[in-house]
Amino acid sequence: MMISITTAAIGLLIATIITVLIRRDALHAKHGFGWFAVALGFAFLGISPSVIDELASKLGIGYPPALAFTLALAVIVVKILTMDMERSRIEVRGERLIQRIGILETELTALTTRVTALESEDSP
Amino acid sequence: MRETDRGTLTTSQVAPSAVILMPAFNEADVIADVLMNIRAVCDLRVIVIDDASTDTTIAEATMCGATVIPLAARLGAWGATQTGLRYALKHGYEYVITMDADGQHEASSLPLVLRPVTEGNVDVTIGACIERGSLLRRIAWVMMKRTSGLRVQDITSGFRVYNRKAILELASWRATLLDYQDVGILLLLQAKGLKILDVQVDMQARRNGGSRIFYSWFAIIFYIFLTLILGASKRRMTPKNTDNMGS
Repeated sequence: MMISITTAAIGLLIATIITVLIRRDALHAKHGFGWFAVALGFAFLGISPSVIDELASKLGIGYPPALAFTLALAVIVVKILTMDMERSRIEVRGERLIQRIGILETELTALTTRVTALESEDSP
Repeated sequence: MRETDRGTLTTSQVAPSAVILMPAFNEADVIADVLMNIRAVCDLRVIVIDDASTDTTIAEATMCGATVIPLAARLGAWGATQTGLRYALKHGYEYVITMDADGQHEASSLPLVLRPVTEGNVDVTIGACIERGSLLRRIAWVMMKRTSGLRVQDITSGFRVYNRKAILELASWRATLLDYQDVGILLLLQAKGLKILDVQVDMQARRNGGSRIFYSWFAIIFYIFLTLILGASKRRMTPKNTDNMGS
C-alpha cells in the first residue's frame, strides 16, 4: 500500500513542479508535455500497481518490478536521445548564425570602406 | 587554364572565377609568409576565415591584402571553411580552393589541383601527399577508408578544389553537422554523385605548431572513433558504383 501512495505522490509532485516551472517561464510548454506524461505514468502506477504485475506475468517476467524499472529506463533513454537531437539542431543553428554574422561583418566592413573612400573623393 | 610564362596564374585565366579560402586560428607568426607565397604565384582573391584567434592573425592577414571573415566564436577548421564556402556561394564564385594557413600547402601546386576541376573532368580535387603521414596518421587513414569505403588516398588533406556543385552541397545545413573536413565531407559529396580526384602534390612541414586535430592522445582517439562511426553509418549512402573516385 505504501509503495502505491509513494508512487502516486511522486507523480503528483512532478506534475506540480512542471506546472510551476511553466508558470514561471522556466520551462517551455512543449517540453512540459513529455514530463506531464511521465508524471501521469507515475500517478497511474501508484493508483493501479497491479497493472505492472499483470503485464509482467503476461510477458513471463517473474519479478514485476524489473519490468517497471526497465520501462522507466527506456523512457529516460528516449528522452535523453531526443534532448541530444534537439541539441544537435541548436548547435547547427548556432554555428550557421556565427558564420552568417562573420559574412555580414565582412560585407559591412567592405561597404564602410567603400563609403569612406567615396566621401573622401567628394570632399574638397 | 594555363600557367603564364612567369608561372603566375591570373584571375582571368581561371574562368569564370575562383577564390582561395584559408581557415586560420592563431597563425599570426606565419600567415603573412603564406599569403605572400600565394601572391607570388597567383592573383586570386584570398579569404582568411579567422576562427576566433586570440593573436594578431586578422591584422596580419588584412595587411597582406586578404579579405578576412572574423568568426565570433571558434567553430573549428571545417566550420570556418564552411563559412568561406557560404561566402563564395553568396558572391557567385565558381571554384573554391581551400588551403591551410600553416604553410603546409605549396601555392606552386595550385595549377595542378585546379586544372582537373576547371576543365570539367571532376568536381573536386584533393591535393594528396601520403608521404607526410606519421605512422599513427597512416593507421587512422586505413581504418577510415575501410569503414567508409572511400577510395581517395589522402582523406584528411585540407588542400582541395571544389566546383560550384560541390560548393552548393557543402554550404548546406547537412554539412554543418559535420565536425571535420574529411570522411563526412567526402561521403556527402560521393553520395551526391560528385567526382573526386586525388592529385599528388608536395607538402611542407607545418611552420606553426602541430596538428589541430591530432594534438593529444585523447583528441586522436576521439577523432578516430567519431570518424569511424560516421564512416560506418554513412557507408550505405555510397552508391555501389564507386567509379566517381580515383587518383
